[in-house]
Amino acid sequence: MRRLHKLILIASAAAVAAVYTSAAFAESAAERAVKEAQKYKGTTINIVWEAGLQSLDPLNFSGPKWEQLTGIHVNVVEVPAGEMFTKILQDYRGGAGGYDALNVVPSWMPDLAAAGALEVLDPYVDKYGYREELQDIAPTYRDNQMTVDGKIYGFPDDGDVFVLYYRKDIFDDQANKDAFKTKFGYELAPPKTWKQFEEIGQFLTDKYAPKMYGASFFRNPDYTQFMFQERFRNEGGKFFDADTMKATVNSDIGVKVLTQMRDENKFMPPGVETFGFVENLAAFLSGQSAMTISWPPYGRWAAGYGQDEKALNWVPKSQIAGKVGYALPPGGHPELALGFALSVSSTSKHKDAAYLFIQWLNSKDVSIERVQLPYALRDPFRVEHYTSAEYLSRWPDAKDYLATLKLGSETGLLDLSIIQTDKYEEALRQAISALWSGEDPKSILDKVAASWDATTQQVGIEKQKKVYQSWAAKSGAYPK
Amino acid sequence: MFNQSRKPPNAALPLAARGGVGTSITIPTRKQAERRFKYAVIAPAILVLLLIGLFPLVYSLVVSFQSITMMAQDTSFQGLANYARLLSDVRLWKALGHTAVFTAVALPAELILGLAMAYLFLEKMPGRQIFIALLLLPTVLSPIVAGATWRLLFDNRYGPINQIISWIAGAPAPIIWIVNPKTVYPAILICEIWQWTPFMFLILLAALSSVDKSQLEAADLDGAPWRMTFFSIVLPAIWPVMAIAILIRGLDLIRLFDIVWGLTQGGPGTMTETISIYTYALGFKQFETSYTAAIAFLVIAMLTIIVTWALKRMEIAR
Repeated sequence: MRRLHKLILIASAAAVAAVYTSAAFAESAAERAVKEAQKYKGTTINIVWEAGLQSLDPLNFSGPKWEQLTGIHVNVVEVPAGEMFTKILQDYRGGAGGYDALNVVPSWMPDLAAAGALEVLDPYVDKYGYREELQDIAPTYRDNQMTVDGKIYGFPDDGDVFVLYYRKDIFDDQANKDAFKTKFGYELAPPKTWKQFEEIGQFLTDKYAPKMYGASFFRNPDYTQFMFQERFRNEGGKFFDADTMKATVNSDIGVKVLTQMRDENKFMPPGVETFGFVENLAAFLSGQSAMTISWPPYGRWAAGYGQDEKALNWVPKSQIAGKVGYALPPGGHPELALGFALSVSSTSKHKDAAYLFIQWLNSKDVSIERVQLPYALRDPFRVEHYTSAEYLSRWPDAKDYLATLKLGSETGLLDLSIIQTDKYEEALRQAISALWSGEDPKSILDKVAASWDATTQQVGIEKQKKVYQSWAAKSGAYPK
Repeated sequence: MFNQSRKPPNAALPLAARGGVGTSITIPTRKQAERRFKYAVIAPAILVLLLIGLFPLVYSLVVSFQSITMMAQDTSFQGLANYARLLSDVRLWKALGHTAVFTAVALPAELILGLAMAYLFLEKMPGRQIFIALLLLPTVLSPIVAGATWRLLFDNRYGPINQIISWIAGAPAPIIWIVNPKTVYPAILICEIWQWTPFMFLILLAALSSVDKSQLEAADLDGAPWRMTFFSIVLPAIWPVMAIAILIRGLDLIRLFDIVWGLTQGGPGTMTETISIYTYALGFKQFETSYTAAIAFLVIAMLTIIVTWALKRMEIAR
């Protein structure tokens, strides 16, 4: 009898514990983060964020809200994108511990993780019960932008992907359709290949210039090198010989891509070589170009979303709202260019507080609000972002927009990410700027290949080969 | 032999203090006391200067013999590996070449224009002070701001420079200044000369103002042509000041960074990359710390040779 009594008591205790545990974990990751973070009330955490529009999110929305909920003050350290890597590594090297939480471009993760600058997040993920919600991040970002050697170093927080935006009204114009079909023998539609892109672009420029041109792109080297990465791989190019690690970027495919990129400028607005993100946006929103490729914010702003926001008063008023269609760029495999992941600095003096902030930011409950902020640059990155009823109601074509972003995330190509990625990208940036100055594409790419080979030698061929092969094995490294 | 430098003992002092019999105390003379006081007063400043100037120099030298990179913090002695790498670094020598071109063009241009402006403003005229103040405004600007501003001025679509050229030419002038290899150097040089000619002007104006007017009048009375007056009287008189101005601007041009960064960031490609920009990219973007230190010492060595030669030529160092 006593034994039975004992058994009943143990079973009851176990049941209570199970109920208590499940109740504790029934709360969302955001709620849990807030509850745990309240222990650190009065703390100030410093988070590095890209200067400009990106940082309006923590400055105007998430930072104040977090402080209200937890009493933790968020100090946003705005840094231009081109200097973020430098500043993060300098802070780590100096041991200053000036940063607590970080925004990290996923392609930098191997370098920063190898240098020891990033905190491994797995213990925190388990401690604060975030593993389940991490699974809801769209697979491409979750599986490729979160871990290095199997360890979590950052939470993907921005679903960057290149999208082709085109003028539906121009493409649907019957006169244009008939004339195009007569000339080229196929329907006027968003181009599936770069040859079609060239034909459509030239056709529209011939008809509408100088009022409107067939297409415009940003051409500044920083961003255009991603376009080269995308197009090169869509054409079948491989960055390296996987066995010897010799750079093969100067193959016939590479030369063809660079030559095409240069020749396209002929049907784009004069001076397109100097177009940056803003100049290209202005040209598209004012109706000066019929096609462009860029990140997701273009699509929102072209639709007129958020145009009344004070923070966006520098964005030209869209003259084409309701006239914009969305498609994948030619080739069908867009570059997941840049993107951001939230990390914790390994030298932070407030690691738990910093971690809880990024868990909260990245959580289901909070991220859906953040990606809908009209002035923010964070793009949908969770599976439910693409099907959110609230988001779908934002503007009439939001359904097509989100569907295209989702498709892009599924077919997208990862940025090259190996040891010392920035050195390889630097060679590409210089290649792009040399291309606009009139240098021969073959000669340019030979220099790129030589520079890449020299960097590989410095890093160590076998060491780099291992990292490259690991990257190349990922589903988003090369088109399947 | 009586020691003239020794003052007679002060009777007010005790015998021992007066160097009396049986004592070994040396009383500092007034001059020695003054000298010690001066050293004591400037010692802290010198210590700070040594700390700020010498310590980084020595530390950089040590680092240049190590192998500190982004990934590895290898502080073991690596011999001359980094210095050997300098010889085969084509991009380094190209950067030095670009720097030499900027210096060779901008320095004489600033000197000649500055001298011409100084002559213009030598005589009194209404509003002279105001004009001089306005002329000096470019020098007050931060160079990075100057570079960024000129980038806007040179913008091929909205910049006023292309607009003005098109008005003069009577046809559109879509010059892409910072992308076209033929115009990118002129663009940088225009900005550089615009910003720093006023500096030369100010220095040379002061120098010209101090030329002995009686000699000039005498030459004028003797009917000497302007050229002869300039080369025989004016130039020798202003040469010491002019030489210092040339040296200062020359060193500034060798360190050229801000204006080029604001305009082109060393592009297109690496066409306008100066040695400072290359060093910055290596040290702060690629974290090749040890190799960057070696480059820094190469530049220090080159500058030391140049400065020593220049000072000897100018007969300033004695």
